[in-house]
Amino acid sequence: MNKLDKQFEGLIKEISIDSPSKDFTLKVMNRIQAEAAVQHRPALQNYQPVISRKAWLIIGLAFCALLIYITVSGSDTATESTPGFWSKLLGSVETINSTGMTSIWQKGMNIFGNIPPVALLIMTASMALWTLDTYLTRLRHHSSKVNL
Amino acid sequence: MNKTDDAYYIEAVRKGNVAAFSVLVERYQNMVYSLALKLLKKPEEAEEMAQDTFVKAYQKLDTYEGKSKFSTWLYSITYNACISELRKRRIEFKSLDDRQISDDDEQKMHDYYRETKKEDQEKYLNLALGKLPEDDQVLVTLYYYENQSMDEISMITGLTVSNIKVKIHRARKRMYALLHEMLHEEIYTLL
Repeated sequence: MNKLDKQFEGLIKEISIDSPSKDFTLKVMNRIQAEAAVQHRPALQNYQPVISRKAWLIIGLAFCALLIYITVSGSDTATESTPGFWSKLLGSVETINSTGMTSIWQKGMNIFGNIPPVALLIMTASMALWTLDTYLTRLRHHSSKVNL
Repeated sequence: MNKTDDAYYIEAVRKGNVAAFSVLVERYQNMVYSLALKLLKKPEEAEEMAQDTFVKAYQKLDTYEGKSKFSTWLYSITYNACISELRKRRIEFKSLDDRQISDDDEQKMHDYYRETKKEDQEKYLNLALGKLPEDDQVLVTLYYYENQSMDEISMITGLTVSNIKVKIHRARKRMYALLHEMLHEEIYTLL
């Protein structure tokens, strides 16, 4: 720095610098605490779904089995020659294509038809919100990892 | 590591002590806010930008390698965020009035300025600084007020060192010229 620079530096240092609002630190730290809470949430750091893929597979298989059972037990055309569940199953396999799907639909309509529409609406809305929340949480977790 | 060092608090934050970051916020909030205000002009926007800067710095703290001063790194986040904001709005900086002033004239202007009343000096200095192009205000503040080196300013702004040298030199002379003009205007109004 030459003499003129030094002189000018002396002038500039006399200016009082602008300052933000008094609660600036508090505002920033509130945002940072919120950020830290998201970053260090254990559920997000080592994300483990509540229902694992295996559990979903078992649930899916059980659901299919239930559908088959409903179809078989509801089929009027099942053969009565060999009594028991397996005989019903075998007998009704032939008729599933023609009448089975209609039967499932009817059974389903009987079950869900008894639920009041408001309850159905609440269930659907809850599921939609839960799915959206899960998606957004995952998205936020992913983007925060990318930034770091 | 000294307890007054930035590195001490940065390490503490990295180890999970989030509250330690408040020391860094307290330490640098005025300069970060001041730089944002010089570029964005509006206090509300500058405050919002300053807040965003600290949050971003916290998020990216792991990427700070300590090769430069923490302040340099922090000011570069501030500067780049403000420039991005100005580009979004397609706002360009004013250009500097390019009248040449000799070193002798500059010295005379300095002496003349020093003869004015002490209480008026800061007012005129602030007015003159405010009349410089926004980027020049930042350069002057970083170099003369914050004592950042040319290399550090280059890291903050992305400008070359030679360009910064020229800009600072011209900004200094322009400020003296502005101070001179303002003081003369006041004398005329008093007469």
